[in-house]
Amino acid sequence: MEYFLEFKGIRKSFPGVQALRDISFRAEGGRVLALLGENGAGKSTLLKILAGDLSADEGEVVLGGAPLSFSSPYDAIKAGVSVIYQERQLIPAMSVMENIFAGALPRNSFGFIDKPRLKKDTQAIIEKFGLPIDPAAPAGRLSVAYQQMVEIMKAYRRGSSVIAFDEPTASLAEAEISILFKLIAELKREGKIVVYVSHRLAEIFQITDDIVVFKDGALVKTFVTDETSEPELIRAMIGRDIGDTYANLSRNTEYGETLLEVRNLVAKQVKNVSFSLRKGEIIGFAGLVGAGRTEVVRALFGADPMISGEILLEGKRVEFKSPAEAITAGLALCPEDRKEQGLVLYHSIRDNVSIPVLSKIRRFFFLDRKAESALAGGIVDKYSIKTPGIDKIVVELSGGNQQKVILGRWTSDQMTTKILILDEPTKGIDVGTKAEVYQMMCDLAKQGFGVIFISSELPEVIGVSDTIYVMRGGRVTGCVHRGDATEESILSLAMSDTVKTERGDAK
Amino acid sequence: MIVYTVISKGAFIRPRNIRNILQSTTVVSLLTIGAGSLMIAGYLDLSLGGIGTMCAMLAAFLLRAGVPWYAALAAALILGGAGGAFNAVLVNELNFQPFIATLATASITQGFTSIISQGKQIDIANPVFNFIGSERVLDFIPYSLIISLFALLIYGVILKNTKFGRSVYLIGNNAQAARLAGLRPKRISYTLFINAGCLAALAGILLAARLKSSNTVGITNSQFAGMTAAILGGISLGGGTGGMGGALAGILILNCFNNGMTVIDVPPYWQVVASGILLLIALTADFLSARKRAAN
Amino acid sequence: MFIKKLLRSSNAALLFITIAVTLLFYIFNNNYLNFDNVRNILNSMSFVGVLSVGMTLLLIGGEVDLAAGAEACFSGVVVALLINAGVPWGLAFFLTVLFGALCGLINAFFINKLGFMSFIATLGMMSVYQGLVTVITQSKNIQIPEQGFWVIGSISLWNVVPLAFIIMLVLMIAYSVVLSNTNFGRSVYMCGGNRHAARLCGINPKKISTILYVNNGVLAAIAGVVLTSRMHTASPAAGSSGAIDAITAAVLGGVSFLGGAGGMSGCFIGILLLNVFNAGLTAVGFPSYWQIVARGGLLVLALCLDFIGARSRRLALERE
Repeated sequence: MEYFLEFKGIRKSFPGVQALRDISFRAEGGRVLALLGENGAGKSTLLKILAGDLSADEGEVVLGGAPLSFSSPYDAIKAGVSVIYQERQLIPAMSVMENIFAGALPRNSFGFIDKPRLKKDTQAIIEKFGLPIDPAAPAGRLSVAYQQMVEIMKAYRRGSSVIAFDEPTASLAEAEISILFKLIAELKREGKIVVYVSHRLAEIFQITDDIVVFKDGALVKTFVTDETSEPELIRAMIGRDIGDTYANLSRNTEYGETLLEVRNLVAKQVKNVSFSLRKGEIIGFAGLVGAGRTEVVRALFGADPMISGEILLEGKRVEFKSPAEAITAGLALCPEDRKEQGLVLYHSIRDNVSIPVLSKIRRFFFLDRKAESALAGGIVDKYSIKTPGIDKIVVELSGGNQQKVILGRWTSDQMTTKILILDEPTKGIDVGTKAEVYQMMCDLAKQGFGVIFISSELPEVIGVSDTIYVMRGGRVTGCVHRGDATEESILSLAMSDTVKTERGDAK
Repeated sequence: MIVYTVISKGAFIRPRNIRNILQSTTVVSLLTIGAGSLMIAGYLDLSLGGIGTMCAMLAAFLLRAGVPWYAALAAALILGGAGGAFNAVLVNELNFQPFIATLATASITQGFTSIISQGKQIDIANPVFNFIGSERVLDFIPYSLIISLFALLIYGVILKNTKFGRSVYLIGNNAQAARLAGLRPKRISYTLFINAGCLAALAGILLAARLKSSNTVGITNSQFAGMTAAILGGISLGGGTGGMGGALAGILILNCFNNGMTVIDVPPYWQVVASGILLLIALTADFLSARKRAAN
Repeated sequence: MFIKKLLRSSNAALLFITIAVTLLFYIFNNNYLNFDNVRNILNSMSFVGVLSVGMTLLLIGGEVDLAAGAEACFSGVVVALLINAGVPWGLAFFLTVLFGALCGLINAFFINKLGFMSFIATLGMMSVYQGLVTVITQSKNIQIPEQGFWVIGSISLWNVVPLAFIIMLVLMIAYSVVLSNTNFGRSVYMCGGNRHAARLCGINPKKISTILYVNNGVLAAIAGVVLTSRMHTASPAAGSSGAIDAITAAVLGGVSFLGGAGGMSGCFIGILLLNVFNAGLTAVGFPSYWQIVARGGLLVLALCLDFIGARSRRLALERE
């Protein structure tokens, strides 16, 4: 059967952002199509439209000649579209076979579940893909990789003609990735349409046939994998103007004494991490999603317990049992998930910026509203936050302005912040504002702050940081200075040592 | 209100009745403060009735045993605080959902109430208690009402104008973000649970003082009234919204409603049914307004 | 094979505890295991037992019904009124079961149509039912002179195993089959384990939840009728702690309060332990007031075990 999936003139906008602009392309059955682009380029929005999570403002998706219209994710599945997300959709307490056949368990003539047949059918699928999985084992007992395999088999069992993968290798070890690729090859042989979203260029060359490159919500170009090269793709993904952004930054060049020294930090998903930070320095943490970067700063900040290790702040040994203690000592964290962890969304700008200084803006027992307003007004002016007033609820601000509210909170005159930790500060922010955020970071460094910068986007880590620590599997695998850093060197460090750090292959 | 006045041929608005309405507000308002401030922070306590009844019973027991009134009062308040602390431990340290944790506590406190009282009511003869319970300023405004209005005022000011109060709202909206910004949600949670326990103890004691005896039912049924009043007053079960002003309005609505039923001779049994229905109505209103917020 | 499986499960430990507790009480009071007392234990067990069947299903599906005890009590009153009004007891039983289903439907309406949290909706309904029962009975017991009706609660096998217990056992076995061997049963686990994933498999969680509440109402009605039959009276105070006891038993038996895990066999052992414990306290002469405290304490204990179990499962996963 000759399938094809076609996107015709898809447009989608969110308040303040044009997420997709007139996207049209075609994916053929029996081929693997890669969606490539930086974070925020529009890949995941497109994937959500394909999965029925979002609906497009304009345009249509056509599968095998018939237009698809979804009102829920279930409609998409019924129409033959399965999306394998990073978060698993399995029921941990139920067996592998029940998960694979969930919603369509075979029944015998009494109306009961036909367990022998269920087992036989599951066995057949498992053998087809050549996996060593026990159909009766609870899905929750399997390793992350095998849980993903179970999801793929579930999609296969449904007879889906389109199977889309969202960063499927993000949490897999090398050996597991090769099993995944075998599965994808099998799907391809069956004539399925495979859509593959990934950042990792090496993988894309390994398994895809076609590549569609996105940038800022628009489709840049379509490539045939065999006829293109890595540099060509990177050029298409990044464009030239981004390089200039970094070149034009006005940086700090004078570093002061050592502010922070972390020695042999061990915490959940963090194995023996050491680094140091000087006054006026920006250190970057690069690595793939799940490498343990966020966990390092959370443990440092007292948000998660530290198992062992030493933290020296200006030469003195400290240990923070709660974020409140870390803040008093001069640390500040702008978390990765702004909306869930950074801001109290339904409160005003004023309420959000004053949280850490509530004890300081008091008269006797009462909050000093005048001082609070002055504080918030000062921050709005300093960072030119676009808002009608300080009483605006932060949920109504754009992503960039929300980020400024958080930065403003930590850098106000009332605070004694010395070290700013920024976890993916440019996530979900449009390109223009990104450049503004980079310059803001450099300005903060000039003022003498020590900045820790976590990002999954290699160009910005390399472009902004003075020193780059690369993490992989909870460990620091390398430390590179900006002058010596290239995307290739960082990427190889981020993916190196797989054989040494991961114990054996998947059982 | 007008309906009640008409049906009761004016009895509803006679001073004596208004005084009754005000007097019966006391217990509910103390419970509303405790339950309401917990709800603003996103928690919930179903054991307040049980804790208050248990503490009132302890106070009555101690008084009968000859303990001076201030010591009995202090012991009861401490027990109330301990009950609240127990809830806070279950919720914060063991990660129980608040409703199930406090439900278990409610059951435990009921047991203790029965143990202390041996299932019987204990009369209170202490003059100080009786004075607080039944004396009135200018022969009209009961002291107990003054206590409760004063409490509403103080807690209203605390919630709106202090760091602690602000923290309660911020935590109710987003505990995670509040923690990362330097607040201590756990500490606030402990404070709120203990505070609610103490207020419940006070409510239980005031009722017992008014009735001049402590029985095993105590303020158990007022607990829902407290929650209902809070929700009627705009404190959402989802946390983060509402305040003491609204709560006061909720309490008045609730009490006029209940008292009105008494005045027009609805049997007391029906009032129990009605208060359940009122809770459901309040919830529906809460649900509708939440949906409206979401739609905006 | 079966024994091996049993021994490996966490239920085995619980079963051993139950046996140990029984023996302990027996040592303290040799009358503990005589026919009368065993029959009493089995009888009182069957009321909470039937309630906990419905509750177990709800908990697995990620729901809860705090009004279960009040529904049972109300059903007892309804059946008494019907019989005393001259309705044949068989028909009265049937009508009461329908009444229970209606109660469940009301819960389901609040939860699935209006989107209330399940515990708050059922808590509200609990106070409504309690109030209505008080209004109807004027706080007095309703005697049932109709002797035919007494049969359900009074006959017993070999004078030891009461019919009520057999009803409970049959229900437990039937629902255990439903849970593990039917599409519906597996859907319940899916809804409790991962509602979003269940929806992606074409399951309608609201429909499942509605069925669970109606089912729970029916079971509560049956429990109420059987209890009323045994007592020959409908009492407005009956079953007030039913919901808490049922939750305690289910959670003791390994039904996770967070949904998606557990089963009927665990629920059975939970019931057994709860009742052996309660009866034992009476047998060794503990005042009945302490039993109320013990009940709450046991619930806290059960939840602690649930919490520890969930954490160790999670840790085991992380190690892999």
